[in-house]
Amino acid sequence: MKNVGLISAIIYTSVSVIASGLFLLATLSGKYTVIERAGGAAWVFLLSMIILMPLVTPMVKKRLQG
Amino acid sequence: MADKSSKKTSLSLGIGGMTCASCAVNVETALKGVPGVKNAVVNLGTEKALVDYDPSRASLAEMKKAVDDIGYSAVLNTTTLQVTGMTCASCVEHVEKAVGDLPGVAKVVVNLALGKAQIEYAPEITSVTQIKKAIQEAGYGAVEIAEGQEALDREKEARQREIRRQLTNLIISGTLGTLVMIGMLQPYWIFPLFVPEWLNNKVVLFFLTTPIVLGPGRQFFVNSWNGLKRGLTDMNLLYATGIGAAYGIAIVNTFWPDAGFGGKEATFYEAAALLTAFIILGRYLEAVTRGRTSEAIRRLMKLQPKRARVIKDGQEVEISAEEVQIDDILAVRPGEAIPVDGVVVEGYSSVDQSMITGESIPVEKKSGDEVIGATMNKTGAFKFRATRVGKDTALSQIIKLVENAQTTKAPIQRIADIVAGKFILGVHALALATFLFWFFVGFGLWFTPESSLLLTPYQLTAIGAFGFSLLVSVTVLVISCPCAVGLATPSAIMAGSGKGAEYGILFKGADAIEASSKLQVIIFDKTGTLTKGEPSVTDVVATEGLTQNEVLRLAGVAEKNSEHPLGEAIVQGAKERGLKLEDAKDFNAIPGHGVEVQLDGRSILLGNRKLMAERNIPLNGLTPEAERLEGEGKTAMFVAFNGKPAGIVAVADTLKETSAQAVAELHRMGLKVAMITGDNRRTAEAIAKQVGIDRVLAEVLPENKANEVKKLQSEGLKVAMVGDGINDAPALAQADVGIAIGSGTDVAKETGQVILIKDDLLDVVAGIQVGRATIRKVKENLVWAFAYNTLAIPLGMGLLYPFFGKVVSPELAALLMATSSLSVTLNTLRMRGFVPAIRRRGQAPALRTQPVQAS
Repeated sequence: MKNVGLISAIIYTSVSVIASGLFLLATLSGKYTVIERAGGAAWVFLLSMIILMPLVTPMVKKRLQG
Repeated sequence: MADKSSKKTSLSLGIGGMTCASCAVNVETALKGVPGVKNAVVNLGTEKALVDYDPSRASLAEMKKAVDDIGYSAVLNTTTLQVTGMTCASCVEHVEKAVGDLPGVAKVVVNLALGKAQIEYAPEITSVTQIKKAIQEAGYGAVEIAEGQEALDREKEARQREIRRQLTNLIISGTLGTLVMIGMLQPYWIFPLFVPEWLNNKVVLFFLTTPIVLGPGRQFFVNSWNGLKRGLTDMNLLYATGIGAAYGIAIVNTFWPDAGFGGKEATFYEAAALLTAFIILGRYLEAVTRGRTSEAIRRLMKLQPKRARVIKDGQEVEISAEEVQIDDILAVRPGEAIPVDGVVVEGYSSVDQSMITGESIPVEKKSGDEVIGATMNKTGAFKFRATRVGKDTALSQIIKLVENAQTTKAPIQRIADIVAGKFILGVHALALATFLFWFFVGFGLWFTPESSLLLTPYQLTAIGAFGFSLLVSVTVLVISCPCAVGLATPSAIMAGSGKGAEYGILFKGADAIEASSKLQVIIFDKTGTLTKGEPSVTDVVATEGLTQNEVLRLAGVAEKNSEHPLGEAIVQGAKERGLKLEDAKDFNAIPGHGVEVQLDGRSILLGNRKLMAERNIPLNGLTPEAERLEGEGKTAMFVAFNGKPAGIVAVADTLKETSAQAVAELHRMGLKVAMITGDNRRTAEAIAKQVGIDRVLAEVLPENKANEVKKLQSEGLKVAMVGDGINDAPALAQADVGIAIGSGTDVAKETGQVILIKDDLLDVVAGIQVGRATIRKVKENLVWAFAYNTLAIPLGMGLLYPFFGKVVSPELAALLMATSSLSVTLNTLRMRGFVPAIRRRGQAPALRTQPVQAS
């Protein structure tokens, strides 16, 4: 059970970090302030985490526990 | 009772703190996660979870912990017992173990100094009596403390606690939120004239908003975090994200105005404050109004008498009604409620049973008559022997049935569940997409400094791409709440099943209510359903050489041991004519055909044409006579003696007073009505004609009734079978809706999905009308809830902005969301005044049909 939580956390956190990284990359094409970029990346990270947590945890649980 | 050795049992567990459909899904998920729990169905409306579990693997305490852990509360009864005989710490352990091992006990805390045990338990699994017994068996004494009995209705108490909590939150958030709003509006319109400038100071606003977010708003953060830890999302998360984002931006713009989030003019304190206040307003109103939709069940619960007077050693001793045991003799005085079910052993009185049966006229009770617990003794005093106590009483069975109906889910609810269950994730995804769109595209294309929030005077001049996109994104989170979708079905089902119970119509599940609303054909069993089931002999035809009395005597001898209503009528008819009925041998009942017996070595055969044909009995001139009698609606039975025809005995039943009216009303409602009977076609059609039935299924053997129902179903029709619930069990089970009529108070034994306590066919009509009204209400609610979300989400996403330069503020979104849930609940509450049309009309005596003789 502990493994499920840890593996899930690694997956959804990584994907969320990648999502906010992609957001930051996208902002390079426009004239945005650093704060806007950082705030936007944080918001994207938060929403991505919220979306992914309930999706990833059951998937990992199912995969690991057969 | 749940037995720890049994493989599976079910429990109805009260759940507190749920606010929306996703809460219900979360509680279901948490309960299903407990090892040993096989299934859990949560009804938001009733705030109950129906849990199927293996008591040898899952305990009540584990289930309670699972529910409590995700931010909700499992509502259990608590009782405090005075425990005597404890002398040391090990005694505490003994008592705790004895009580804690009981299957329905979640928690037990024993205080040695006070000699008290406080116990949290599920009464439907373990009663206080059983707890006391366990303590006594462990070698100690146990007495219930009186104060504990005053808190019988825990569910009501929990609801009131929730109402009080939300009211306190509302007062705090409402008062401070109004101040924050006035402060934010200070520079605008007429506000500078009477609002001091310091109230618009952002630091002051910070100090006014912070108690709201950290006080009343704390619940959203705590609950959503508890859920997220377990991979669960609910409405709290939407609110927490929305409130948190607005509050966070406000803080940054107050203390670090140059950080690039829009500066001091773009603080959203009023958004954070009013968002919290409106969400709490919604929760408070929901808690208040939702309590009212379950009033019917509470009224039933209130009927449960608290005290009983038991006769012990010739003395009347007052005890708790819960402690009454089977075979106890109880005394009841005039004006008192009867505590449990029983049989009168002494005395005479009239009893008002209207609260259980709906029958308004008091019923006379004498020695040998049954009395129902919770009914009201009117005039005399009597003593009775308890036959059913605790959870077996008629009232408890009715309450359980109604509760179960309210806890089950109607098929129509699946749509709502699917939507609500996946909605939260969808909304967050939508909020993310909305944010990205406005950040990268929308803001650059359409933003103007004159932009403003809908219905507010101030402008968003200083806001940047991030602040604007975040604002719209938060609004999407708040405005999309599917609370109304989640409430639409269960609240209406709860109101409908309660309304049915008021009229003595018990739906066994939400699916029965929905199926009742879709019926196209109603099949009535004839004997005992359309008719009174008390037939009498009307004609006797004798063949040459025999007298009428001889034929009737032969028929009486054949039916002497029969329990069939027609047989009993013949025996009664023979006795009335003073005929001596000898004991026959080798009684052989031939289902659907008749009987055969042996008398002094010669056979007597009594039955229909088929039986006579099978035994090669020539009917000679009897056939025209039989046809004449059958044409008059009588049941003609042939009698053969020693292989030769002897005559005919005709028996007729009496139609019930309301049969014709009920059939006429069903026709008016657009339903087809059929009659099913074992009688021959001629008799059946004569009776059908009298009541106005258009389709007759005659000469159907009892075992084939279910096949006839199946045949109609194969034509694509939704069929209800109305029968007495025992003889017609297979047909009742086969029908889309089995309606068991005249069940009296032993409702738990019935096969039907709809149980009618009274023996009145108008209740069949009333039941269908309640079903239709309930499902109409469900549809209205769903249409409203889906329409709200369909319209509100595009508005929240900023659809109006490119055209009008206005966006919906998060606080307006919260108000819209609260209004949507409230309107669904209020719409459901309109059912409180619902009276089935047949009952409204039924009150006019002119429309009551007169008793009709079936012959």
